[in-house]
Formats: sequence, C-alpha cells, structure tokens
Amino acid sequence: MDTGEPRTLAEDLRARDDTELARLLRARPDLLTPVPNDITQLATRAATRTSVLRTLDHLPAFPRQVAETLAVAPDPCDYGTLLVLMTGEPAAEEPGESPGTSDGFAEPLDPALARAVTQALPRAVATLRDCGVLWGGEERLRLVRTARDVLGPTPAAGSGTGLGPSVGEATAGMSPSRLQEIVVDAGLAATHDSVSAIGALTGLFQDPVRLRALLAEAPEGARAVLERLVWGPPYGEVRDATEPVRAAAAATPVQWLLARGLLLPAGAHNVVLPREAALTLRGSRAHRFPEPAPPPVAAVARTARTVDLTAAGQAFTAVRTVTELLTAWQTGGPPVLRAGGISVRDLKRTAATLDLPESETAFWLELAYAAGLVAADGEVDEAYAPTPAADVWSGQPAHEQWAALATAWLATTRTPGLVGSRDAKGRALSALGPDLDRALTPQVRRTVLALLAELPEGSAADAEALLARLRWERPLRPGADALRADLLRWTLHDAEALGFTGRGALAAHARHLLPRPAPQDGTGEGEVAGRKGRSRGGRSAASGVNSAAAYDRSVRSGETVPGDPRAAAAALAPLLPEPLDHVLLQADLTAVAPGPLVAPLAETLGVLADIESKGGATVYRFTPESVRRALDAGRTASELQAFLTAHSRTPVPQPLSYLIDDVARRHGTLRVGAASAYLRCDDDAVLTELLADRRANGLGLRRLAPTVLAAQADPSTLLERLRAMGLAPAAESADGDVLISRPDARRTPPRTAPAPLVDGPPAPDDALLGAAVKAIRAGDRAATAARRAPSPREGGLPRTPAADTLATVQAATLAGESLWIGYVNAEGSATQRVITPTRVEGGYVTAYDHTADEIRTLALHRITGVSALADDPA
Amino acid sequence: MSCLIVQSDKTLLLEVDHELADACRRAIAPFAELERAPEHIHTYRVTPLGLWNARAAGHDAEQVVDALVQYSRYPVPHALLVDVAETMDRYGRLRLAKDPAHGLVLTTTDRPVLEEVLRSKRIQPLVGARIDEDTVSVHPSERGQIKQVLLKLGWPAEDYAGYVDGEAHPIDLRQEDWQLRPYQQQAVENFWHGGSGVVVLPCGAGKTLVGAGAMAEAKATTLILVTNTVSARQWKHELVRRTSLTEDEVGEYSGTKKEIRPVTIATYQVLTTKRKGIYPHLELFDSRDWGLIVYDEVHLLPAPVFKFTADLQARRRLGLTATLVREDGRESDVFSLIGPKRFDAPWKEIEAQGYIAPADCVEVRVNLTDSERLAYATAEPEEKYRYCATTATKRQVTEALVAKHKGQQTLVIGQYIDQLDELGEHLGAPVIKGETTNAQREKLFDAFRNGEISVLVVSKVANFSIDLPEATVAIQVSGTFGSRQEEAQRLGRVLRPKADGHEARFYSVVARDTIDQDFAAHRQRFLAEQGYAYRIMDASDL
Repeated sequence: MDTGEPRTLAEDLRARDDTELARLLRARPDLLTPVPNDITQLATRAATRTSVLRTLDHLPAFPRQVAETLAVAPDPCDYGTLLVLMTGEPAAEEPGESPGTSDGFAEPLDPALARAVTQALPRAVATLRDCGVLWGGEERLRLVRTARDVLGPTPAAGSGTGLGPSVGEATAGMSPSRLQEIVVDAGLAATHDSVSAIGALTGLFQDPVRLRALLAEAPEGARAVLERLVWGPPYGEVRDATEPVRAAAAATPVQWLLARGLLLPAGAHNVVLPREAALTLRGSRAHRFPEPAPPPVAAVARTARTVDLTAAGQAFTAVRTVTELLTAWQTGGPPVLRAGGISVRDLKRTAATLDLPESETAFWLELAYAAGLVAADGEVDEAYAPTPAADVWSGQPAHEQWAALATAWLATTRTPGLVGSRDAKGRALSALGPDLDRALTPQVRRTVLALLAELPEGSAADAEALLARLRWERPLRPGADALRADLLRWTLHDAEALGFTGRGALAAHARHLLPRPAPQDGTGEGEVAGRKGRSRGGRSAASGVNSAAAYDRSVRSGETVPGDPRAAAAALAPLLPEPLDHVLLQADLTAVAPGPLVAPLAETLGVLADIESKGGATVYRFTPESVRRALDAGRTASELQAFLTAHSRTPVPQPLSYLIDDVARRHGTLRVGAASAYLRCDDDAVLTELLADRRANGLGLRRLAPTVLAAQADPSTLLERLRAMGLAPAAESADGDVLISRPDARRTPPRTAPAPLVDGPPAPDDALLGAAVKAIRAGDRAATAARRAPSPREGGLPRTPAADTLATVQAATLAGESLWIGYVNAEGSATQRVITPTRVEGGYVTAYDHTADEIRTLALHRITGVSALADDPA
Repeated sequence: MSCLIVQSDKTLLLEVDHELADACRRAIAPFAELERAPEHIHTYRVTPLGLWNARAAGHDAEQVVDALVQYSRYPVPHALLVDVAETMDRYGRLRLAKDPAHGLVLTTTDRPVLEEVLRSKRIQPLVGARIDEDTVSVHPSERGQIKQVLLKLGWPAEDYAGYVDGEAHPIDLRQEDWQLRPYQQQAVENFWHGGSGVVVLPCGAGKTLVGAGAMAEAKATTLILVTNTVSARQWKHELVRRTSLTEDEVGEYSGTKKEIRPVTIATYQVLTTKRKGIYPHLELFDSRDWGLIVYDEVHLLPAPVFKFTADLQARRRLGLTATLVREDGRESDVFSLIGPKRFDAPWKEIEAQGYIAPADCVEVRVNLTDSERLAYATAEPEEKYRYCATTATKRQVTEALVAKHKGQQTLVIGQYIDQLDELGEHLGAPVIKGETTNAQREKLFDAFRNGEISVLVVSKVANFSIDLPEATVAIQVSGTFGSRQEEAQRLGRVLRPKADGHEARFYSVVARDTIDQDFAAHRQRFLAEQGYAYRIMDASDL
C-alpha cells in the first residue's frame, strides 16, 4: 500500500497535476464557490451528497452505467473485474459451456458490442475520475462513498443495474437459526456462525457451476420466477415472504427458491433475488444493454443554399413579427396581471393583431421580453410596453436585429411552450408571467444546435434520433425526461421560426452564434477526434462524428469560444431581401409591396392603408377609413397624392386618387371644439341634417347659429358618434386650428433584459481556474506543513483546524477507527473523549463514546480537535 | 427575381408583367384559385378545396411544391409546404368503390383514417357492415351524404363507384355554321374524362354550348336544371339550334308546363316548391333513367337541390358557373356533391381571345339635393338604401346617360319596381319585371334583339341567362345591396361580343355619401378584382 497508491480521495486529488485539477473544477464549478482552502477541503466538498448528485446527474449514459456498475461491484474494484461486469464473463475461457449463459438466462453480449464497451471503458473511467467521483489506481478503483450510496440498490429506489442487495445485506435482519436452515437446504455444510453462513451462500451463488447444478433440481416454474427477476427489478410480490419454509415442505416454485436462499424475504409480502445470484445468472453482466457509444444522429441531406435561404426568410419574418409586436404595443400594451404576465384575453388579442396562433404569439412575446424589448412599465396601473432598448433595436438593420433576438433566445431560460399549461398547483401559466423559467431549456437548445452543427453542412436530423441522443448524453428522471422531450420539440420549432434552421438544418449564419471548441487544448483524444470529425464534416459519415465528441462536450469539454453575433449578422445580411422604395398601386385600391419596404415608406403606408396580407410581400388596402386616418394624422390630400405618385412604379389609378380627394373633400367639413364641445359647419344643411338625425339624440345637439352646433357630450364621444354616423369631423383647438390626432409612443423606464436562470454557478474561466488551483495548492501546503507539527501534548486537548477535524472524523467513519477528541460541552467545560464515529451528518457526529460507554451525538463545532489513537482501544 | 411571392396567409401574388408570369400561371392554376386579377398583381389563394381539386385532376403534392419553390421569389415558408403536402395527402386515402359482392363500399389505404372516420357520429348511420379491416359497406342511398360528411371531416373520398349509363338517346352537335371554341372543347373533354364536375367560365363565354357538348358525349337522356323559365326557353332554343335534337325531344318542366321528354329542362323554382311539407316535383329525378344532369349557375343552386343531388351520385353531373364564389359559402357542398372543378379559364384570357367584349366600367357619383339628403338622414335604417337608390336625382342622371348613348342598345337595370316603372315612363321604354308574362318577355327581348326598341328597363329577372347580344350599354341604377355575384351577372349582359367589336359600357349610378356608395364600392371591388378597372366620374361632368 505504500507504493504511492492513494488512501483517500484527498490524497488522490493531491497527486493530480494542475491540468487535471482544473478539469475537475471545470466539470464541477460548484466546488469553487467559495474557493476551497486546501485539497482536504476540496475533497470533503467533492464528497457531499448535493455535489455528487449534481455531478452524476450531468453524466452521459455510459459513464453513468460504469458508475452504477462500480456501485454494485466490490469496493475497491480492479479494472479487470469492472470490465467483466460490463461485458460479461469472457466466453473463451470455457468454450462450449460458458457458465451462466448456457442456462439461457442471459444471452452473451454481442461480440461487436462487447468490443465497443471494452474500447469505451477506459475513457468512461477517465471521465468519472476527472469529475472526482472515482479515485484510486487501476487495481483499486474506488467510487466516492456518497456516489456508491446514491447509485447502489436500496429497497426504496432500484439501481440502474436492476440488481438487488447482496446476500449479506438481504439477510441482515434474519435470525441465525433461519439462516442455518437455508444453508442446509441449499446443500451446504452446516455452520453455527452467521458470518460464515453468509460467506458460504455467497460462494455458492457466485460459482456458476454449483449454482447451475442446484438449479437443475428446481421444480418447473422456478426458472420462470428467476427469469422475471434476473434483469430487474429484483423484487417480487408474494403472499407470505417471511414464512420459514424448509426445502422438504416447499410446495411452490417460490417456496423452493425461498428455502434455498435464492429468494430472500424483503418485507412481509416481498422477496428479492440476491445480487450475487442475479449476477451469476446474468453471466456477470451488470447491465443488460450497455450503451458504450452514443446513438448516431443520421444526417438528412438538404441543399445548403436552400437551407440558408429558407432560414434567412424565416429570420426576416422573425424580425418583422417582433417589429409588429412592438408597434402594436406602441401606445401601451396589455396590463400586467396581479400574479404577473398577461391575461389569456390579451394574449388572444395580441395573437389576432399579429395574425398568428396563440402559441406562436407567446413565443414571440417571450422572445421580445427575453431580448429586453418589452417589459412592465412599473406604473401604478402596471402595463407592458416597449423599453427604450426597443427604440435602439428598431433603428438597427434587420440582420443585426436578428442577431440580437437570436442571442437572447439562445441564453434565455424562458420557456414559452409552457404557456397555457398548468403548474403543480393547477394555476395556468401565462405568457410573460412567472414560473416560465426552466434551467433545462437553454441546455437542450445548445445541445441540439451543437448536434446539428456536427452534422455535415445543410443536414437536418430526425427528431427521434435527436431525442435518443439527448437521452444518452444525459439520462434524466422520467418527469424531467418528459419535459425534455417537449423542450426538444419546442426547440426545433422555435429554431425554425427564428431562422436558426431552415428545413430542419442549421443555417450558416446561425453557426456563428454557437460556441465552438477552442483551437488549442487537445489533451483528451476524444476532442481531437471530435474536431477532426467536424473539420471533415462535409464528407465523413455522420456516425464517426457522433461517437467521438460525446463525453467531451458534456464533461470534459475544453474551453470554448463563445458565439459571435456580429459574424452571424454579417453572414445573414446578404441573404436578406433588399428593402424596396416603391410599391405597385392597383385599381382595386390595393398597393402591393413586392418585398420589404424602407422604414419611412412602410410607416406612412401603414397609416394610409390597412395591411391585408403579409409574407415576402405586403398587400395594403386603401379604404375611406385608412385615408381618413392619414388625414387625421396631419397629411393633406395633395401630399398624399404626391407621396403615392413618388413611390408607385405604376400610374396612380383613377379610383384611388378619387378616393383620396373624396375623403379629403369631406374631411374636416365638420369641426368639433374641445373646450366647449361645439360643432360647426360652413354648410348649414349638414347641421340641419345632423339635428334631424335621431342617431344624434344622445349627443344633446343644439343649433347655435346657422353654421354652429353645441353639444352636451364631450368632444371625443362626439367625434366618435359622428364618425359612427358616417361623417368625417375634425377636432379643432381653442383657437381654431385642426388638432392632429397622432398618439405618442409609450416607453417603460430603462429596463434590463431578464437574466437567465442559472443552473449551478457559472463555468469558471481559465484565469479563475488557475488562481483557484494555485490557492488550493498553497492552502494545502500550509495544511500539510502544520500536520507535521508534533502531536498534541500529552494530557492537553488536541487542536486541529475545523476542516481537518471534519476530514479526520469522516475518514475515521469510513475506516471504522477510533479517535481522541477534545470536546467542549454546553456548559463550556472542556473534556477529552475517545470516540468511534459511525455517522457524520448535518454538523453532528454520531459516535460510540468509549469514555461514557454509549452512543452519543456530538456537535462538530464543539470538537476542538482530533487526533488518531496510537493503538486501537478495541 | 422570379414572379411569384408566397405569402404566409397562403395567398400567392403573381406579377403579371413578368416574363415568366404565363408559365407560372399555368403551373399554379391547377391548385390555386384566382381570387383577384387587377392590372399588375394577381392574387391566388391556396385552399384545401383547391388542393383537392388538383389531386382530383391528377396532380400530386410534389408538383405543387415544385411549382411554388420554382417560381417563388423568396423562400417559401416551410410550414406552408408541409401543410400543402399534408392536405393533399388526405385526398384519396378513402375511396368509394363498387364491390361485386357487397355493392358500394368505402375502402382505405390507411387503416387509422378509416377507424377515425368510422368513429364519427355523423358517419355511423351512413355505413353498413365492416367487410374487412380496410373496407366497410356503404348504403347505396348515402353515397352523396357520405362524401359530404367525409369532406367536412377533412378526408375527402375519391369516388370510383362509377356511373350508370342511363337511357341512351342519340344527341349530336350540328357544327355546320359554327364550331365549339377551343376552350369549350377543352372543358367538355376535361369534364367527360373526370366523370363529374364543375366547369367555370365567365358570363358570355358560351356555357350552354359546353352543356350541349357534354350531352353529345353522353348520348343519353339529360336533365337540365336552370334558374328560371326564360333561361329554360333559351336553353331549349340553343339546343334545338346547335344539336340534332328537335323541338319535341326537349321538354320544359316549369311552373306552367310539365313536360318530361328525353331532354328535360327544369327550373330550380319548380323543384323546390314545397306543398304540405313535401316536394311534389321531386319524382322528376326518378321519372326517367337520366344519363346526365346539368346544373346551370351552380353558385345559385338552392339548398334543397343539394339534398336531391346527394341521392343522384350514380349519375354524371355537370355544373356550369361563372364563379365558384357562393355568397352562402357552400363551396364545399358543390365540391363533394357535384364534383371537383374540371375547367377554369380566367375572364380576361377569354376576352383577350376575342370571345367576349371588353368593357368600360364607370361609376357615376350623383350629388343628392339638400332636401334629399335631409330625407335620407331621417329615413329608417331599413329604408335608407331604398331611398338613396331611388332618388329623383339619380333618375335624372340615368336619363342623361341614356340620352348620351342614344341609338345604342341600352339596358337599364334596377332592383325596385316603382323606380323602374318611373324610369320606363320617363324614358318611354318598356319595363320587364316579375309580373311580365313569359310571352310578353320573349316578345320584348326579340324586339330588342332586332333593334326595334333600343332601350329596355329590366328588373332582376333579367340577371340570369338571357341572351341579349346587342346590348352595348348597361346602366345599373340599384341592386341587391352589395351582391358581388349579381354585379358579375349584370356585367355579363354587355360582355357578349359585339358585331362591330366596339367597347361595351357599364354604368353604375350611385348617390354620393350614402350607403349606396358603400354597397357600390363592395360590388365594384369584385369587378376590379376581375380585372375590370372602373372609373369614377361626377354626375356634373356628364
């Protein structure tokens, strides 16, 4: 053991070089907050349950399978044993009658698959080692204790291997006499010692030849029972599991098995197949279906040019849709609900304005919100409105607008797909409301886009294949997995809507937005292969690309260069249609803009005409109302005529100029005063007509002079009613000028875009990693130096730093050693004790106190120091 | 730069002046309905019915997608292409066929679809026993019903059950001094090839001859359904003139006569007459073993006729119309019961070939006098249109227009009888209205044709199917509110080619600043969308 084999995780970590430590910290950034003082502290933190869970949760399928295997393997486990557990007993050893497998319980692993497993195993072990859940040399692989607990089989949660507890664990509560009966019934020599009885049973179950001989005598049906349990779940339900059945009295197959310990009781109505027996029956394999390589994502070829053009078209639509949304909310958007978000009715209304389905509308709303373009205004009657940033955004060229939206989408945790569904409390989730953030969302987006980026240019992928791949790269609990399947669907849809992809394939301009691996750094061979695959991209078979880059991205990922929005915008720019400065006017009172229009032209036309159809082109329709709107906005008929003549490729049709003149002729004939609500008209017949009209009754009109009427109603109602009657009045100010009704734009106070919800601390950069490693080294050197100081004075209280105390107590717990501690009790008096700790949890040590001769719970912070005993008191 | 722009609302904009426009039009016409055809950019719309029409005509989704992608100026939204493919894929998954053992059956190539439709409550009463997993028997009487319901469910069935030949009867075209025009010939061939369906031709393009052509193909007893008696007489007249049929072989089944002959022409009105809750003239459909049924003006087909038609699915059906647009939106019933569109030629194209006359459409705006405006403002809402449409000022302007076109054959068309009577009195012209006897009508029409009288005042009875070849000026003084299809019919009155080839005039006299103007705008939008640009002039400029 003195050959440099580390004895603890801390020692193992201490032996690693700086690059390896940096890799550990990159894989587990949570260990860095705060930066640990020394390696001991780092190792302690790396073994905490939360951190280990988080790490295991991020492992790809194969390393996870390896970790699961190690959790059921002997501790420590040598590499050879592990390999056998992964690939099964090599058939070559006993040709013809390979043990276990010849029973037909388990087909031997497909040789090709076995080879793949053999090939992939070193890297999976390296991955586990890199992320600090595995330590020790090749011959003594040790899983961190917490990981073993988490992954190992427990009655509450089965292991991923489908294996049950070992014979020892399963017989823990059994009476010695019953154990004796089982040993005898199994055909073994009787022994009075429970420990050797368990040993004998284990030995029997682990020996394929003897086990097969035993099973050969089994009655019909016993085999079927075993077959059901062998690949897990290992628990089965029976009527009475605890009844002590003797071999002679066994009536049913289950009783036959129970009598011989091949099934052991696990509660009143449950039996379990012990791990050793199951493993032997499986041919020593821990997993039925090892998944050494990620499932390939086949490329579906599309033309790169078509992909880019389609995506660009969609990108343009995206920018236009957001612009429309901002315009629609220009004068104040919908009110904010008390719980946050907008109401279903407002969502419907916005959807109608944008002429989109509600689900799509929610997507665009959330996108604009994530990009910081709309926000709540914070007034008393809180409502949504564009932010000042929206004005900046609106002034940018379309390709930059798109890049801004795309960057926001990549990072945001907002998940618009959830809008309309209900949360756990049954409340409907509303657009822009709370509870729409999911940490998984940007992860799925990034992974999917990265997968698409690995395919040859202009290739789409099948959604099912992508899902299988995601599942391999990060197995999730069923609930989260269902969410991820949804997220994948939404991601593919949103990416298409936003112009990231065209016909399902990643567009060239979107490629620039994705983070790429840094050009240098190439310690992991996987990375080299991955990069090679990528650079060969165009020609190489997709499967080659797929298998290589897998772990590297998720765990060992090297530095990446972040996406470059500017390059993306530049790549997109030439694909977008050039804005036009003309339209085609037609006699059916429409104007067709055969492409996007320059902003000023679009704005004026938007006032002068109603938009009838959108897409690559825009169809505008002129109506009396729209022309009146333009006149209301302060334009004159001659201005409008000149505007149309200037911007039309075709002669202005006669009906259109007639329409403008006709509306202008009537426009402003009636004038409405704001101060005292009067109505005047040079044509007294109009007033007479108006007075006679019964629809005007509610207005309280009264003739003041031949050309002037007074009204009781306020001017705005009056205007409205008169317009409803088909008249075209104009508002007038106190000194007789025509009031121009052009609403002011509404803005929130400056708002920042919502920060994406982060899953764990941010990935540390190289500078931080370097500094952290240095700091840990320095602290560790100090700690190690202090340790060399003489042991506590005889009779005095031992004194050690808190971190050391914890580490020593934990080490003792694992090793079952006794410690000499100094302890300050609640009254403040210091005592010395000798304890054998059994559990360290939540700041307390549960230990057998040799001084008091009882189990005590001691507060860790009251322990002044610890010291190992020279001799074990036991 | 190509000529087509695909919009997200599934409209297609076609730049007509583009060099590729003609090729593009031909490529998209099979599946897209021409919606608007003003001078520069035509609008087509892609609808499920249009796509299914294309499927029925033998086009597949790939051709449609290719046409869109090939001619589109901007990238076609992927969602639209997917939608096109999916929609077209729905057609033909179910088919009606004749089974030698089980009679009429519904079969499928896609079992889940059959399961889905069989689960529908509306399908259940129409089908019989399940024959095997892919086949279910259908009550022969429900052949039309089931097609109608399946279309509503979005799974239109192809009808392969075939047709009965009907009672044979020799009919031939007598093309001695005339010829079927190429497009008429094409329409007949397309129809006959397709079995049943609708031919869309503009007014004046000779739909009657397409009917005659179809009868000559069928050579079987034929039932022709028309809108009114005058139209029935005209059909009879045309048939006797153009085919080998004689007077005696063609019967009229109308309010006045109840003849059933090898070729029988019946009016919608007599068929839909209801007495004591039953339709007594319904047995007409069963009175002979008809080999062909012709529906004139399909867009006007009254609802009860649809019901009868549902029971006639084993007979060949030909629908004739100027427009598939129905004001009641029952286009899908036409599709499922009469058949898909088999031929379509745009108005302007036929005009360009010289088969219909060009027209100059003018709206004349009339300023009402002050007293008229006052009266208009105080009128009850339901009386407003009637009032403004029949003002004295309008009458004076109409008289001025008639005077301006003195010597030309002029029709004055209106809605309100008292207005027409008054106009007739002032113009010294005969009035044809609902109460005018058919004999009297024919006499007047003949006189008009011969030029004995040059001005005729007609009510809406003349909207449909009367042949007035020499009318060169039509003046519309009032109409059925904003009916677009009436506008098309009235314009059709002057679109027949003129002997001297000069332009036809179509006037609408409209009272300014009234509801009359709004209705006129609605009606004229339809004209403008058909490519008939109209001018607006003030009455004072006359």
